[in-house]
Amino acid sequence: MTHGMPHAPEAVERQFDVGQLTRVEGEGSLTLRVRDGAVVEAHLGIFEAPRYFERLIVGREPDEVIDIVARICGICPVAYQMSAVHAFEALFGVQIDPQIRALRRLFYCGEWIESHALHIYLLHAPDFLGYPSAIELARDHRAVVERALTMKRTGNALVAKLGARPIHPLTVRVGGFSRVPTRDELLALRPALDEALATAQATVDFVTGLTAPEFVREPRLVSLRHPDEYPMNEGRIVSNDGLDIPLGSWREAFAEDQVAWSNALQARTHAGEVYLLGPSSRVTLNAARLHPLAAEALARTGLAEQIRVNPYWSIAARAVELVHATAEAIDIIDAYQRPDRAFTPWQPRAGSAGWATEAPRGLLFHHYEIDERGLVAHAQIVPPTSQNQAAIEADLTTFAPSVLALPQAEATLRLEQLIRSYDPCISCATHFLDLRIEPADR
Amino acid sequence: MTAHPTNPVWLLACGNADRRDDGAALAATQGLGATQCGQLEIDHLLAAPAGVPIVICDATVGVTPGSVVTLTFDELLNNPRGPAPHSSHALPIDQVIGVARALSANPIDGLFVGIGGVDFGFGRGLSPAVEAALPDFRAAIESQV
Repeated sequence: MTHGMPHAPEAVERQFDVGQLTRVEGEGSLTLRVRDGAVVEAHLGIFEAPRYFERLIVGREPDEVIDIVARICGICPVAYQMSAVHAFEALFGVQIDPQIRALRRLFYCGEWIESHALHIYLLHAPDFLGYPSAIELARDHRAVVERALTMKRTGNALVAKLGARPIHPLTVRVGGFSRVPTRDELLALRPALDEALATAQATVDFVTGLTAPEFVREPRLVSLRHPDEYPMNEGRIVSNDGLDIPLGSWREAFAEDQVAWSNALQARTHAGEVYLLGPSSRVTLNAARLHPLAAEALARTGLAEQIRVNPYWSIAARAVELVHATAEAIDIIDAYQRPDRAFTPWQPRAGSAGWATEAPRGLLFHHYEIDERGLVAHAQIVPPTSQNQAAIEADLTTFAPSVLALPQAEATLRLEQLIRSYDPCISCATHFLDLRIEPADR
Repeated sequence: MTAHPTNPVWLLACGNADRRDDGAALAATQGLGATQCGQLEIDHLLAAPAGVPIVICDATVGVTPGSVVTLTFDELLNNPRGPAPHSSHALPIDQVIGVARALSANPIDGLFVGIGGVDFGFGRGLSPAVEAALPDFRAAIESQV
C-alpha cells in the first residue's frame, strides 16, 4: 500500500493514491482527486492483467465451459459453474431432478460460507477493530480468527463433498453432477454444520458489536428474487426501484462499458445509472425469504436499515447470510434422498440463452450462443465486481468529503476501507476484456 | 496431510499443473515427498508437526523469469511487496504465515523457495525460462530437505 503526498497547494487540490489495494481479491488501485472540497475524480483502477476467458471458451462444448469458467475465481468457482450450467440447461430445455436442484443450492451454501467467513473475519474485521491486517488481529483475538478458519473449513468441506475438491470443483455438468453423494456422506457433514451454525450466530453478534463509520446514501440495489426462497440459482432480476425482469434478460436493463482507467468493464443501467449488488442488496430485497434463523438474526442486529444505506454494514449482511447458508445447508442435508441418476441426459441445440445466479459478491450473469455443432460461438460473462465498480466510485465521491479534514494517511485508509466493504474480487472482474487480433496490413 | 517419513522438513508444493509455470513447484518436488497444497492456506502451516521447519515452494512473480529465490519467513513478512506466489485469490503469503504464527502453539518457521514465472495461462508445460531453470529450482529445494 502506498500513500501519495498531497498536491500543492493543499487547499486547492489534494490527491489520494492507494497504489495497491490490500485485503481485496486481486490487484487494484484507487485514485481520488479533490479540488476545493469537492471530488473531481474517483477512479477504482483495476490493473490486473486481462484474462480473456470469454475468448478461451469459444469453440468448446458446454461441459468443458463449466470446467473452464470455474477457473475464473478461486473464491467463487461454484458461482461461475452455476450461472453457466443453468444457461445451458435453459437453452437445451433440460429439466433437472429436484434433488439435483437441492444439491446445487447446497453447493452454493458451501461457497457462501467459505467466502463470507474469509471476508468478515480476515479481510474486513481488521478495519473495524483498528488492525492493519489479520496478523495483528490474530495475535490479539485468537478466538475470532479461529472462528473464521472453522467456518471456512466447513464451507470448503461442503464444496469438496459435492465438487471433489474445494477450489475449482470438477463435478458440475449439464443436467446435474458427474457424481452425487450418498445420504450418509452428507450426514457426515452435519456435526461440522451444527457447529458452524452456532459460530454463524456468534458472528452476527460479533459484527453487531462493531462500530461502523457514519455514511448514508440511497443506492439502487439489484439482486435476484425468488417467490419462495432466498435467491441463489433461480428467480427474477429485481431492484428497489421497480425493475423486475427474467434472469436471462440482464442485457435488457444493463450494459457494459470500457473506461480508460480499468482493465475490467464497468456496467450501468441503460440510463447510465450505477447500481449495487451483493449481500446488502440481497438481504434488503429478500429479507422476507431468509431462513427463519437468519431472519431472527437480522432482527436481532437492528441493522436492516443500516445495511441498506451504509456500505460499511455489508459486514452485517454477510453475517446474516452466513446463518442463512448454514441453516439451509442443514435443512437440505436432512431432507436429502439420493437421486436415481446423477444427471439428466441432454442434447445440445443451436441458439442463445442467458442466466444469472447469486455469487457471494452478487449477481453473476452469463450469456452464451451455441452453434449448430453444439459448441460455444460467443460468450458474455459479467461478474458482480465489474457491475459494482461504478457504484463504488460513486460512493467514494460521496464519502470522500467527510474525511478531507483528516491527515492524508488516515483519510486514505478510510477510503481504502470503504472499498473493502464491497468485497471486490478484482481477479474475477478482469477476465473479460475483449481480445481483438487484426491483420497487420490493415 | 502427512509428513514424509524421510523428510526432516514439512515440504509444501503449491501451484496448479494446468496453469503452465504455476506448476513449477509440483514438477520440481517430484519424489521429494512434498505435500501438494494447490493454494497455500493457513491450515497447511498449522498442520506442520511440532518443531519441523517448513519449506514452501511455489512459482513467483516479482523476480526475473527462471530465477530462483530463497527467503526466510521473516523476510517475507518484512517485505510483503517482494517476490510472492502468483495468487490473487486468497490471503497473501505474508498474512498466511503471520496468522499461522499467531494461532499456532508451535513455532512456525522456515523458508520460501520460489522460481520466477512468466506464463500462468491455461495448459500444461512450463515456459522455456522456467523449464531451463527447473534443475536449479529443484537443487535449491533439495538443499533444504
